[in-house]
Amino acid sequence: MPSEPVRITVADADLQRSRVTVLFRLILAIPHLIVLGIFAAIAIVLAPFHWLATLFSGNPPDALADYFRMLVRYSLQVYAYLYLTTARFPPWPGTNDEYAIDVSFPPAARQNRWSVGFRLLLALPALLLASALTGGFGFGFNGSATESALQGSGAAAAAAFLAWFACLVTGRMPQGLRDLQIYALGYATQAYSYLFLLTDQYPNAAPRAYPSAPMPDHPVTLSLSADDLRRSRLTTFFRLPLAVPHLIWLALWSIVALLVAIAAWLAALVRGQVPAALHRFLAAYVRYTTHFTAFLYLTANAFPGFTGTAGSYPAEATIAAPERQSRWTVLTRGILLLPAFVILSALGGIYGLTAIFAWWIALFTGRIPRGVRDAGAFALRYSTQTYAYALLLTPRYPYAGPGPGTSARNAPAAPEPAPPSYIPDQPVWTREAE
Amino acid sequence: MILIVAGIALLVAVEIVVATRLWRTSVPSDLRLPSLDPAREFPAGELRRAESFDAFGRWTFLGSQVVLLATLAVYAKHGWRFARESAAGPIGTGFLLGMLGIGIAWLTQVPFSIADFWWAKDHGVTNTDWATFLFGDWAALGGQFAFVCFALLVAMGFSRLLRRSWWLPATAVFAGLAVLFAFVTPLLLDLHEPHNPRLEADAAKIARQQGVSGIPLKVEEVRSDTTAPNAFAVGLGSTRRVVLWDTIAGFPRGEVRVVIAHEYGHQARHHISKGLGWSVLFLLPTTLLVALLTWRRGGLARPEAVPLALLIVVVLQVFTTPLRSAISRHMEAEADWAALQTTRDPAAMRGLFRNFTDVGYSDPDPPGWFQTLFGDHPSGLQRIEMAEAWERAHPH
Repeated sequence: MPSEPVRITVADADLQRSRVTVLFRLILAIPHLIVLGIFAAIAIVLAPFHWLATLFSGNPPDALADYFRMLVRYSLQVYAYLYLTTARFPPWPGTNDEYAIDVSFPPAARQNRWSVGFRLLLALPALLLASALTGGFGFGFNGSATESALQGSGAAAAAAFLAWFACLVTGRMPQGLRDLQIYALGYATQAYSYLFLLTDQYPNAAPRAYPSAPMPDHPVTLSLSADDLRRSRLTTFFRLPLAVPHLIWLALWSIVALLVAIAAWLAALVRGQVPAALHRFLAAYVRYTTHFTAFLYLTANAFPGFTGTAGSYPAEATIAAPERQSRWTVLTRGILLLPAFVILSALGGIYGLTAIFAWWIALFTGRIPRGVRDAGAFALRYSTQTYAYALLLTPRYPYAGPGPGTSARNAPAAPEPAPPSYIPDQPVWTREAE
Repeated sequence: MILIVAGIALLVAVEIVVATRLWRTSVPSDLRLPSLDPAREFPAGELRRAESFDAFGRWTFLGSQVVLLATLAVYAKHGWRFARESAAGPIGTGFLLGMLGIGIAWLTQVPFSIADFWWAKDHGVTNTDWATFLFGDWAALGGQFAFVCFALLVAMGFSRLLRRSWWLPATAVFAGLAVLFAFVTPLLLDLHEPHNPRLEADAAKIARQQGVSGIPLKVEEVRSDTTAPNAFAVGLGSTRRVVLWDTIAGFPRGEVRVVIAHEYGHQARHHISKGLGWSVLFLLPTTLLVALLTWRRGGLARPEAVPLALLIVVVLQVFTTPLRSAISRHMEAEADWAALQTTRDPAAMRGLFRNFTDVGYSDPDPPGWFQTLFGDHPSGLQRIEMAEAWERAHPH
């Protein structure tokens, strides 16, 4: 039976940051990074003995397990400090001082020897995802060098890059970016705890498994409904070629949407609000891209329609009616979007990775794990909010935090999707024959 | 009912009249091909090797066709269940069912494709590596999906608008598309100038002799993929081209001239336009039958009918293959005759088809039943026999 999960705790409610320590954060973190490097090097030497001892006895040896617990905790705290997730200089390893972010490990318990034997292999997908979340390797959609570089640095690092500027200006850490970092660092902590045999519970990719504030009211939300996590193996196997007609349609629609967006931009500059007809068209376009992306990345199962009709798909974007917008933010929307695209690019890498995992898992099991689905849904929600903001459907900036609002359980009130527009119970000819 | 029968009778009559006109050929009607013994025309080793190579392909082809039909028959019965996987409305669901049908059919063909590819690699006929073969096939599937979606959009769209009579405008659209495709194909190929003054001069002379001097000769580089020799005529109107694969460049000059003359023969005798005409003749009954046979399932406006429509199209394609092969052989024979009339070099033609057997492992004398049912070109032996017949008819 799997043990309790590794839990992350956060005690940093005020989000205040000293501008001086923020300015020099990278330099201030150097002593900790050096110590962490030394401890990590020792861990590399100890890890094979730890693995062999656990494999033979079925239990991780206490002394070695304590060392790896210390390393995982210290690593979390150092990176949290480096990425501005926390304000205070972290304690040195082994002191057990209280800190704003901490981790609680489950008590040592027997582990399945097969799971221990293949731990490195089993942990590989989780480590890849952890790497894409915190820093390192990530899969991308865009070829531009800038985006690849930012994406390569991981979601937490991208958030830290943006937070550095925000903290210097406002002296405060943006809640969304902070929560995104906690999610990323929390997942990495679970992944390394699993790798180092501190738990036999697989890391949970679901954002709700990590502490975060609820998403503030936002005019653009994503709701997932009627998803039993089942995925048809056949449509999963052919998912990419099945997307071809949608890709062609999306390309055509995007050309028109771009022209309409320019018209909407001009109209919003003059009137301070996007005309209802243009808003409707662009909202349908954003809904369609959400439906299509959800299908392509296995966040949803059903083949989507081509019209972006509201309430027609299990992964539904809800977009509020047009509202007045500041002309200044309309005028500078292209510049304002840059930080959002940095985060979107990093989340896009994570979404791509979860889709690849989901594809393999669904192919064998006919289902996808809820955590993987929810991680994808978070990236999809952010993408929908970003494109809605880019296309002037809302004056509200996309919310980077993974807080409740993306999962079906916590979805904000949204119209219940209509049943799929074509689901026959049985062949029509049978009914006629009857 | 009377109207339907009368309409079908009229359609059949029109098809017969048009087919009769399309069947016309410049090959003399009294031409009798001598019966040659392949053992005397080809070295025994080459003949045995080519027979062995082709025999494998014949059986995998037949196996693949049987599996294809069986798969689509099962899909026609049960495929509607996949409509549950769609939230896309009737036409979108039709897309999904059509694509899944093609996808399942593709999956069943993979073992045969792999076997054929392995066989070709084993005989050194292809230079393509396994990764390119597998991923290229996968990418091509995306193109097929896009095509089937467009076809379903046309058919289902008209079916929703016009109910039973959708097949007539749909045929017109498909025919228009076929014409468009024939026109743009040469523009999509990576073709080069021959960069061989002698070859260009030969081609220009042959084109002039056949009255199609405006059509350029181009070369396609395929040597990195295959060693098989080939050439073809493509295009319509201003995009007409004669294309030689670079694998044929090493052949003797006389043989290359025969190839060029053969392809210009296709262009001079409007075989591409005629081929389009034949396509329409096959398309009309196909769409009509799809319309009639799917009607009991609510017509093609309903996505549940799509798996059945797919089966009907494929069954018609498979069972009309002997007829389509005969038409293709008929046109190829006419192009061969044009080549002989132009080059007046039957010895080169004999040499060419001996070379095809040697280099391309093409069986010069496949079993009669297979050649009749599926041979889209005259066999190598028949083509040598035509060269022989021409020589006898032109003793000087």
